[in-house]
Amino acid sequence: MSEFNPHSLDEDEFLEEVHSVDFWFHAVDGYLRDRTYGRIEGASHPDLDDTDRDNLITTLCNYCIGETAALEASSGLISIAPNRHSKIFLATQVVDEARHLEVFLRRLRDLGVEDPESEISVRANPHLVAFKDRLMELVAGHDWDAAVFAQNVVLETMEYTAFRAHMSTADPATAEVLDGVVKDERRHLGFGENDLGRRLMAMPEKRQRLAEIRRELDNLVLATFEEVQDSLGADRSRRVDLGSEYLDAIERLGLT
Amino acid sequence: MPDSDEPGMIANRIEKVRAKREAGSERRHFELDDRGFNEVPKKWRKFYRHWEGDGDTLGPNEIICPVCKVVIRSVKELRPGDRLYCMPCMSRLLVVEADDGTLTTEVVY
Repeated sequence: MSEFNPHSLDEDEFLEEVHSVDFWFHAVDGYLRDRTYGRIEGASHPDLDDTDRDNLITTLCNYCIGETAALEASSGLISIAPNRHSKIFLATQVVDEARHLEVFLRRLRDLGVEDPESEISVRANPHLVAFKDRLMELVAGHDWDAAVFAQNVVLETMEYTAFRAHMSTADPATAEVLDGVVKDERRHLGFGENDLGRRLMAMPEKRQRLAEIRRELDNLVLATFEEVQDSLGADRSRRVDLGSEYLDAIERLGLT
Repeated sequence: MPDSDEPGMIANRIEKVRAKREAGSERRHFELDDRGFNEVPKKWRKFYRHWEGDGDTLGPNEIICPVCKVVIRSVKELRPGDRLYCMPCMSRLLVVEADDGTLTTEVVY
């Protein structure tokens, strides 16, 4: 028997461990230690052609909008989190989201974008901007369940899926950046599903309202997702699979 | 998850699958090695690995997390009723037997 066996922890010990700053610190140290702004130090990669570069810039600009939404929302959620575990976890998520925004901005600069802020405004997907506005309304309204659902289930699951798909076709430099981001997203989407799952077990009457929020947000997120896939040139036959992980999470939570 | 999955019902279900498990033969134990999974602190790493796609297979002590798709590993052969934790996505899981007799997991919230 191993000295450390996660499956032998009692439930409270497990939750305390995985929500802790200590766990987060040693986890990210495992995959970010040898990287600078998400890139492996010393690695060099060939330049992209003009069309691929332009498509990638549009995609990264919209990733920046999604990450900014998650950064602002997760920091806003700390004050309304229902327990200390969640507050501590969200503090780690804030740092993750700030790093994601930073590495995507840095990648835009690598691609020759001199003023990322104005480029983001020009290339912003209106559905994603509308999603961000709605998410921030939910946070400002201190609506914990709906905001965690919108951010950590809807947005994070879609980002996780989109980033992984993009990684499989991306140029090596972008793939390096996405690799570190995807590893963070696993924690974020898991936090959302498990926190909401526990709350819905205790308060099943909340399920109907969250299902309504889901229907409202689905259109915005799925439209964004489709347009990002278009800009990346992803083939249509693969898109159903990409959406299935999101739908699996929705089904597990009983929000169909 | 259906509305009927109240905490008491889950506890009953766990008890049932545990009883079934206890009735089985003695289970094998496994020495775990570090498979390069670097998304959790070092002391927990050997309990997880990435699914390597076509050609990969699960050992009798391994199962895939339904939430984040990481392979979860145990020091013992898995049986229905076992409780596992997926640290990469913070999920608590129960091992259950699927209709086809294979083992799968359900998320326990």
